[in-house]
Amino acid sequence: MSPKTAEQYRSQTTPTWCKDCGDYKVLDALTAAMAKLELEPDDTVLTAGVGCASRLPFYTNTYGFHTVHGRALPAAIGTKVANKERTVISVGGDGDGFSIGGNHFIHASRKNPNITYIIMDNEIYALTKGQNSPTSHEDLLTKINPYEVVEDRINPVLMALSFNTSFIARGFCEDQEQLTDMIVQAIKHPGFAFVHVLSPCTQYNLKVTYDSLRKRIKQLPEDHDTSDRIISMKYAMTHEPLYMGIFYKDVRLTLHDKLEHLRGMSLDDIGNPSEYTIQDVMKQFE
Amino acid sequence: MAELVIRIVGSPGDGVISSGDILTLAAARSGRYVSTYRSFPTEIRGVDQSLYQLRISSKKILTSADEVNVLIAYNERFLRDNISGLKKGGIIIFDSSENDNRFEEYKKFTKYFVPIKKLAEEFATERTKNMVALGVLLGLTPNFSINEQIKSDIRKKYETKEEEVIEANIQAFEKAYTWVRQNLEKEAFLEKLVIEPSGKKFVMSGCEAMALGALVAGCRFYSGYPITPATEIMELLAKEMPRLNGNVIQCEDEIASITAALGASFSGAKAMTATSGPGLSLMSEAIGLASMAELPIVIIDVQRGGPSTGLPTKTEQSDLNLAIYGTHGDTPKIVLAPINVEDSFYQTIKAFNYAEKYQVPVIILSDVSLGERRECIDYFDVKDIEVSNRLKPGKLCGKKAFSRYTQTYTGISPITCPGEKGGAYIATGLEHTESSAPSSKPHVHAAMTEKRFKKLETAQSEFISARKYGDDEAKFGIISWGSTSGPVLEAIDLADKQGYKIQALYPRIIYPFPTKWINDFLYNKEILLIVERNYCGQLANTLVYRCTCLNKDIKIHNLMKYNGEPFTTNEVFSKIDQIIKGQYLKFMVHQ
Repeated sequence: MSPKTAEQYRSQTTPTWCKDCGDYKVLDALTAAMAKLELEPDDTVLTAGVGCASRLPFYTNTYGFHTVHGRALPAAIGTKVANKERTVISVGGDGDGFSIGGNHFIHASRKNPNITYIIMDNEIYALTKGQNSPTSHEDLLTKINPYEVVEDRINPVLMALSFNTSFIARGFCEDQEQLTDMIVQAIKHPGFAFVHVLSPCTQYNLKVTYDSLRKRIKQLPEDHDTSDRIISMKYAMTHEPLYMGIFYKDVRLTLHDKLEHLRGMSLDDIGNPSEYTIQDVMKQFE
Repeated sequence: MAELVIRIVGSPGDGVISSGDILTLAAARSGRYVSTYRSFPTEIRGVDQSLYQLRISSKKILTSADEVNVLIAYNERFLRDNISGLKKGGIIIFDSSENDNRFEEYKKFTKYFVPIKKLAEEFATERTKNMVALGVLLGLTPNFSINEQIKSDIRKKYETKEEEVIEANIQAFEKAYTWVRQNLEKEAFLEKLVIEPSGKKFVMSGCEAMALGALVAGCRFYSGYPITPATEIMELLAKEMPRLNGNVIQCEDEIASITAALGASFSGAKAMTATSGPGLSLMSEAIGLASMAELPIVIIDVQRGGPSTGLPTKTEQSDLNLAIYGTHGDTPKIVLAPINVEDSFYQTIKAFNYAEKYQVPVIILSDVSLGERRECIDYFDVKDIEVSNRLKPGKLCGKKAFSRYTQTYTGISPITCPGEKGGAYIATGLEHTESSAPSSKPHVHAAMTEKRFKKLETAQSEFISARKYGDDEAKFGIISWGSTSGPVLEAIDLADKQGYKIQALYPRIIYPFPTKWINDFLYNKEILLIVERNYCGQLANTLVYRCTCLNKDIKIHNLMKYNGEPFTTNEVFSKIDQIIKGQYLKFMVHQ
């Protein structure tokens, strides 16, 4: 198979994203990562929930499952468990992943399936034209919060660290090379890999711009120990500066490893027959 | 037809359910038909009674019977609570270890006062008193000859326990049997009772039947969230699925469960989830996703009393509206309602066949009384069972993007799964074009909605008509659904003995609504009785709305039950009797 370019992973469908949306750059980085890894589009699955970022699967030529709001992760887990040879990547936004679908993030971290989860965080609900999201700054007033915001924002990377997500990184959509490399490593990571991407919305959240983000971000030190969860948490604690890079990496058994292990145990339990069919299952009911 | 109906009642901890299960298995393995009814308190250690009713017969049976021949009671309160269910001339076996009441007021019965608990302590340990009770019962019915099966089923039931415990239980049973033969006066009916065995059978609960049906149909992915009373399905699949190269995963909630199952279906696996009412409510949105993205999936709802948390261990048929109408949008799906355990097995296979063939979600409506009761299924060979698979595309060129939702004559479009070369597409909950690009254009939504519903039309043309029972000439018709059909059919037999000619229709396919079958059935009927276990008459409302316009003169009666218990045959018969005697003497056909 000849090496592919990022463009060769794009579909004919024109994105509905606004001009200058950060998600274009995430799409570029993701397809570049796919090219680097020489993934076969037909062997790759993107799952998504609902939102601007969740439209991304339509813009690639891989298989895709665009589900309902918040459910990208359970769909990805089912896809991967039933079809373990495929590369499975979930994509979505901050509202989809941390609000309506927040619960699934905890349990995906517990299961540790071998999938990658890319969140494009613009700190706003943009498809519905600008309402506060779980990552919105406390000062952001919108039409549904016209006076003041009563909720605190969450910290996605710190949250992932507390759930012991097995790979955690943060990138900025403008820093293509770093983001591409991060996504490559996330896909290669055997386990649940979370990539938090700062991806500004230029229409509905004017407080989070390319420039403002550029000023907020700072790279993790080159000698950051990605096996040290406590140190990683210290870097993750601050909103200003926002540290960028790979925070944490823990190679442990994946969901697939565990399911295969219990399969072995289930067969040990009946003395490892050379063949076991539905007829054998029926015998216990005779 | 020879048969014996036994009811065992006691407190949680008396081992009522275990002994009932063992007796059921042993009777079935010996070739007799069995049907059971179990009821136990919601709280693990409540004050309510545990009840196990078991009907053993030489012929196929539809219910676990209204009245019993033998009542085994561990305490006075439960004996008194259940005495009305004992047939005239029936037998009481009472644990007299700590209660010397002789119940002189119960004159019509044969009474055995057996110090069950004391005998258990003497033969083995106090905890084996349920096995002593079984020994007493079988000692009184010597022609049953199932002692060997009982012993092997004790072994199976307690296989996870130490050998000592197993031996104690077997000892208690055997010694009680011998003790009865030597010490108790014989009871003529039981002493002579012969229930002929009739060939090999499978015995299982309704939940197990659905789990097995799924495996036979080729289900290799299950994701679920624990919920009473559906968990038994997941338990069996968790044990067996890995051995068959499938996977079971526990999810964080019902929304994740159904979405994971849809992910697996998208991946090409036959997938299922099971739940009860609260879970089905949570799954509604994703059921719409399955309809829209045209992904096969089977969803089992073992109904319990609702709304909200309701009555987790009590039975009801009140999720029909949710199953048929519960999802937003115009949502093609199929809803099936098995009538007994055997039907639960075969309908689950059908559910997978329909789901895969028509690429729709299929909901199976079972309920507590059906899911938990054990019954026999006639022996069959798995190889003889027909299994359908989804429509695959012809050769894919790979040059042009695969058009997943191509319009066809049947509405069914070929489907691929990840890994298939040239088959990449996006399954989506958004309205989409034939090539799965999102679209909100008026003509696209109209055409694709019609396409999705076209599949139901195709399906309907292939469905075998609903089953009928009774005389085609009858002017009195009864329509019922799900597990209510057992008591209805038995009531028709009772009515026949009274000279009432009645015919029943019991559709197992509830949606697409069987309008045509019902209209055909109603064509010559003058009275219609609709029987179901809910307050609102959920089937009746849909039925009257859709079907009775063809026969405007028909008199419609409802029989609803909504106290958490299943119907008895007598309740249905009483209603028939009341309708006929009250207003319609002309329906007496022969005297």
